[in-house]
Amino acid sequence: MRDIINIIHALEKRNYVADEELATALFLVLKLQKPLLIEGPPGVGKTEVALALAEHLDAPLIRLQCYEGLDSATAIYEWNYQKQLLGIKLQEQSPVSLAEKERHIFGPDFLLERPLLQAISAKDKSPVLLIDELDRSDEEFEAFLLELLSAFQISIPELGTIKAVHRPYVILTSNRTRELSDALRRRCIYHWLDYPDHQKEVSIVKKRLNGIEHQLAEQVVTWVQQLREQKLNKTPGISETIDWAESLMALGHRELSRKAIEQTLGTVLKSADDIQRIKASL
Amino acid sequence: MNERQFPANGLSDAIVSFSRFLREQGFNVGIRETQEAVRVAADGLLQHKFYFKSALKSLFCRTPEERLRFEKLFLLFWRKDPVELNQKRSEKNQQHKANQAPSTAPTLLGESPPTEEELEAVKSTTGASASEQLRKTDFSKVADMDAQHLEELSEQLFREMALRLRRRHKLDAKQGAIHLRKTIRRSIGFGGEPMQLLRKTRRPGRRRLILLLDVSGSMDKYSFYLLRFICALRENFRQLEAFVFSTSLVRITAALQESYLEFALAQIAAQADHWSSGTKIGACLQDFVDGYGKEMLNGSPLVVVLSDGLETGDPALLHTALQRIKGRAWKVVWLNPLKGNPNYQPLAKGMSVALPFLDEFESAHSLESLLKLEEMLGR
Repeated sequence: MRDIINIIHALEKRNYVADEELATALFLVLKLQKPLLIEGPPGVGKTEVALALAEHLDAPLIRLQCYEGLDSATAIYEWNYQKQLLGIKLQEQSPVSLAEKERHIFGPDFLLERPLLQAISAKDKSPVLLIDELDRSDEEFEAFLLELLSAFQISIPELGTIKAVHRPYVILTSNRTRELSDALRRRCIYHWLDYPDHQKEVSIVKKRLNGIEHQLAEQVVTWVQQLREQKLNKTPGISETIDWAESLMALGHRELSRKAIEQTLGTVLKSADDIQRIKASL
Repeated sequence: MNERQFPANGLSDAIVSFSRFLREQGFNVGIRETQEAVRVAADGLLQHKFYFKSALKSLFCRTPEERLRFEKLFLLFWRKDPVELNQKRSEKNQQHKANQAPSTAPTLLGESPPTEEELEAVKSTTGASASEQLRKTDFSKVADMDAQHLEELSEQLFREMALRLRRRHKLDAKQGAIHLRKTIRRSIGFGGEPMQLLRKTRRPGRRRLILLLDVSGSMDKYSFYLLRFICALRENFRQLEAFVFSTSLVRITAALQESYLEFALAQIAAQADHWSSGTKIGACLQDFVDGYGKEMLNGSPLVVVLSDGLETGDPALLHTALQRIKGRAWKVVWLNPLKGNPNYQPLAKGMSVALPFLDEFESAHSLESLLKLEEMLGR
């Protein structure tokens, strides 16, 4: 139990406000060395969890941003084709045997390590591997990831199998635009991160923005919380709340007024329709 | 269910029983999850009920809906504080080992096991299974109470679908076979070394989508959701043309351009006083071919007709109209909400005439059936 409270404090030092549930999940990640899958709406700080955790562990953060069409060449490794060609050219006249030459150009010097391979081959300590927005990638990639997450090894035909010396702490995030496969979910610890309640959000804003006045923070959070209740095209996340409070501070507003809202609404609402609608209802 | 089904002689046993209990409730909890939970608990790391619960929650749940249900099931199962109970037990063990008989071992289920009704209550109060159910419900059979929920659900699902469709078009340049001719041409600059490998990629298609929605009386219950569906598609297909018809044809593409669906619905209602009255499918499709055919039936578009096929006009008209559309379209798809009924047969006057011209004939009666169309539209 002390460990969990320690995690909360450690994250707080890194400007991340975590509740007990999230801290318990992170504790399990460290304890069981299982990947953590965090799902939730955009802008609630899913990615930040990994950043804070890496800082807390003083471990390198390796990040893989997923997108449609992400393939193994961009995610795992790729041979540096141009360099290999040059290598062949340079060796053309040398008396080395053919097998030697081949071993040379398929050596580690010619290998471009991509995030997943980097995470596996870390030398000193376990890195934090962040696989961001996994729901954007296609199912084939997910299937591949399954293999990696259970065995923590990667096979490169020309080099052999590389097995992780230090297992990375893996954090996967998803916006849930599509359901991830059950097999993948079962390999992970699961956490759902939702919009924070009023009190927590105020403390996040204060943590992030030093010197913000209590009144302004309260007002901004109350407003954003109300906005989230409405049917908007893009519901503002915590990052929007922070941006908004920051821009209000920059403009020298000490409390919310009609004018202040109109000036800065673009930092909270990111869709023209939403802005129009909210402005009309002011 | 009674206590004997989940006997427990300690925290580890209790966790095993709890995972069995969850499994019975439809959770996908395997042996590995149970092992991990036992391991965490056995290390004595979770001396507090709250952390104990959160730990089990992150290990056993896979979706936010399951997390909601878990809260209630956890309370049902662990009527007493499990950790506290365990501690007491071990104290007891040390003090009066002789007194300890297996029959008096405290059951972790507490005083009484959960009854069937209590379990039912957990099921019905959760959004998860309800949403799951609603996805499959026929639009015409939705109770008033669920209508709002269904509306929200449909909006969310359609939005997600549009997002997925948009993303599908982004092809990676690194895929595809090597384009030999281009690669060799480019290699000349490097003295014949193929330094850059150029690959063939498929250009993402920009197909035009034409939607014809039946808004006659018989379609009343469906047309609202189908219109929402059309709005969601608009986000993905730049070249989307939408029409509504019953006794006459009205083009609603412009109305959809306003991104407010409510506004669009009001506009359509104002334009079409025939909203929810008899149907002349053939005549309307004929109007479409005559009036817009030259302009829109180019570049082999995808034509989707959303109608129940209950024709009150002349079926011969429908025959010729569809024949002409078929000749110039890439595909003609008919979505019929009535097809959701397993006993349905396309015997209606309009439907039987139309069938030979259709590439696909699908149902469109529930959210799930509409979402299935994503595959087809993504191509």
